[in-house]
Amino acid sequence: MIRVESLTKVFRRPHTFSGPLGPLRTLLTRRYDERTAVDGVSFEISAGEIVGYLGPNGAGKSTTVKMLTGILTPTSGLIEVDGRVPWRDREANARAVGVVFGQRSQLWWDLPLIDSLRLVGDLYDVPAARFAGSLRRMCDLLGLDDFLQTPVRQLSLGQRMRGDLAAAMLYDPPILYLDEPTVGLDVMAKQAVREFIAETNRLGRTTVVLTTHDLADVEALCERIILIDKGRVLYDGGIDDLVTAYAPPRRLVVELADDETRTFEIAAGRPIPELIAQVAAEHPIRDLSIREPDLEGVITRIYAESER
Amino acid sequence: MIRPLAGMARVGMRFQFAYRSDVIMSVVALVAQVFLLRMVWTSLYSGRESDPRGLTLEALLAYLSLANLQAFVTTPIIPMIAHFRIRTGTVFFDLSRPTGYLPQMAAFQAGHTAGGLLMLAPAIPVVLLVGTITPTEHPIGYAATLALGYVISVMMSLLICVIGFWTLETGAISLLYRLVSHFFAGTMVPLSFFPGALGVLADALPFKYMGYVPAAVYVGQLSGGQIGRAVAVEIGWIAALAGVLWAIWRRAHHKVVIQGG
Amino acid sequence: MAEVVRALRLYWRLQRAAMRGALQYRLNLVIGIAAGVAYQGSGFAFVWVVMHTFPAVGGWSLREIAFLYGMRLTAHALYVLPFSSLIGLDWLVREGELDRVLLRPLNPLVQIMAKRLGVGQLGDLLAGLVLLVVALPPLGPASILFCLAAVVGGALVEAAVSLALASLALRTWNTLGVRAFADDLFSKFGSYPMSVFGGAAQWALTFVLPVAFVAYVPASVLLDRTGELNVPAPVAYGSPLLGVALFALAYRIWSRQLRHYQSTGT
Ligand SMILES: Nc1ncnc2c1ncn2[C@@H]1O[C@H](COP(=O)(O)OP(=O)(O)O)[C@@H](O)[C@H]1O
Ligand SMILES: [Mg+2]
Repeated sequence: MIRVESLTKVFRRPHTFSGPLGPLRTLLTRRYDERTAVDGVSFEISAGEIVGYLGPNGAGKSTTVKMLTGILTPTSGLIEVDGRVPWRDREANARAVGVVFGQRSQLWWDLPLIDSLRLVGDLYDVPAARFAGSLRRMCDLLGLDDFLQTPVRQLSLGQRMRGDLAAAMLYDPPILYLDEPTVGLDVMAKQAVREFIAETNRLGRTTVVLTTHDLADVEALCERIILIDKGRVLYDGGIDDLVTAYAPPRRLVVELADDETRTFEIAAGRPIPELIAQVAAEHPIRDLSIREPDLEGVITRIYAESER
Repeated sequence: MIRPLAGMARVGMRFQFAYRSDVIMSVVALVAQVFLLRMVWTSLYSGRESDPRGLTLEALLAYLSLANLQAFVTTPIIPMIAHFRIRTGTVFFDLSRPTGYLPQMAAFQAGHTAGGLLMLAPAIPVVLLVGTITPTEHPIGYAATLALGYVISVMMSLLICVIGFWTLETGAISLLYRLVSHFFAGTMVPLSFFPGALGVLADALPFKYMGYVPAAVYVGQLSGGQIGRAVAVEIGWIAALAGVLWAIWRRAHHKVVIQGG
Repeated sequence: MAEVVRALRLYWRLQRAAMRGALQYRLNLVIGIAAGVAYQGSGFAFVWVVMHTFPAVGGWSLREIAFLYGMRLTAHALYVLPFSSLIGLDWLVREGELDRVLLRPLNPLVQIMAKRLGVGQLGDLLAGLVLLVVALPPLGPASILFCLAAVVGGALVEAAVSLALASLALRTWNTLGVRAFADDLFSKFGSYPMSVFGGAAQWALTFVLPVAFVAYVPASVLLDRTGELNVPAPVAYGSPLLGVALFALAYRIWSRQLRHYQSTGT
């Protein structure tokens, strides 16, 4: 469905000089600052997958999504989405994808939500009958009925995000890009968004690329993640594999009689009862627990390793 | 009392520099405008024996260049600023400062004007050359009428700022004001050319003190007792505007406080 | 063809939505129209005041000048009415609004044009048409057709310059000042017989920035004054076509620059 090969994006900006004559120098000299936002990224995503595209701030996630949608032209490399090159065939590509940017609404700010949805229906040539059906489904899935008539600028962030999701899926695109859709939302709203994504994927076999740095999103939705940092792919594969491959060892946490807590690493392959017995022989234990490694720990470790 | 106002003036000046590329283009546009007027008027005058309204072509060109320079430097900025700050609610910071709101705005405008003068400095010789301006015989009269005219201009701008507290939208009003004031200031035609009722209207409005009156004093079209009378009327306008501003401000301030509460 | 019909239909839908949004700021809308009329009005008021004292400018009578002015104003209004939102392009780029536009399956320029209707310019159109009709010299049917074509061509000339300059905003250049200046030249210098400005300026206003082709050149044709022009008469007769050619060129520049659009950092 989506094929990306050695994708690279270099941003070029005229170098800005400081000082009183700075602007003039900026205008006259042809010096540029270059910044490589995406640096040789390759991956393939098949139909119906939900992939978490993960990375810290400034990793190049949004830039990748913008190239996938055809907003930006890649500096080099290849993108194919459903057999099309997005930037060359932008309009055809636009019909096949729904996009939500968590930071910026795609809705018409001054108009009631319903007007925005109608306009989206018009822009994507959705026939009236199908539009009514889609709208009904969106309202049910996302609970839009309460604020359909409210101007978008008066919606809460959670409501607005639900409106954006509806606008992105109204025309049933086979592909959905979500760029930090849960950023700034409260727990309830986050949950609603996640449920909607899961439901859309289950019902319509929609391919979803989900950009986030909220690991809870990923754990709730994705089987596969692509981890990037500084524009490069650090890991691409299943979450479970990631945890096994990179997991820090499990830990045994014991509470001693004198209120002291100590942790012991459980080396791979060593039977736990044996370790407990050994610890118990040396210390008076009051309580003990085994701590499983979590995704967060795993990812922190990968980033730390890539720094070196 | 003085320190915050000086700060405000500095901000106004910096504002001018922040948009310098736009300002530079508008300086170029100013030079083009002076050139246009020069060519058009030269063509109009060609082949005429007597000078209409007793104004020689040289005096007329000098007049137009001056009037345009003056209008450029004194371009009101505070209605825009006030509009923006009222809409975004940041006006509350201005209102909560111990120095009054109107003095702050006036200081901002003064800083902006000073910045404009600095930016304009390189263009002044060009304008003087294109406009063939020679030294005046009434330097004191020119300085006096211009300074008082500037005060009137700032007070009118303040009036528009205050109106913004009611309408909350002064973007279009200030544009309209700018156009009307430029036209009636006589930046394209001296007011003495305005025919009939238009001439009477232009003469009655205060806009002429920002352009026509000082420039006409400079080129000698107004002289002697006329200068004295102009200064007196300017002082009268300032007093009247001060009264109006004071009255309206009291109400506007009240309105803002209610809105905020 | 079906594409064009679809684009027009969507243009209209989007435009209506934009108007509904703008109607929430009614007072500003009304004053905006007044300001538009005042701006163009003060330009003509200048001519009127001057002609009160002087019978002719560069050998042109008040009536001829009024006709020239009418042609220029009508052309200008025909350009601004659909293209007024181009003025805000710098802002659209800086605020990332263009991302939104590029996500939709519709020509980006059509979407941008549909963001706003230059209602303020309705006053210009009216004023221009009135001047044009009042000052219209006795013309045959062929000349009337030429006049209509010339007004549309003039609108396209202005639109072309505006679009080409605005394209630079896609590279995050600050184009506002330059565009305001070009606009100023069009509206201030376009309404006079160019011969007034002298050889060099006339040359620049013909061949560097094609201000002359908006109204002066075609008006000279209609007023039988092609002898004064600095272009050969056949070129003057073909002037309406220049607008089409320039606009096509400007559209190519625009499309190329769109490829270089860099979006915003967030
Ligand atoms: N339009 C742009 N111009 C210049 N630099 C940009 C632009 N967009 C993004 N960048 C830079 O590219 C890098 C990646 O940005 P982005 O893709 O937005 O990161 P993410 O979405 O992962 O936080 C950042 O360093 C950012 O500053
Ligand atoms: Mg991002």
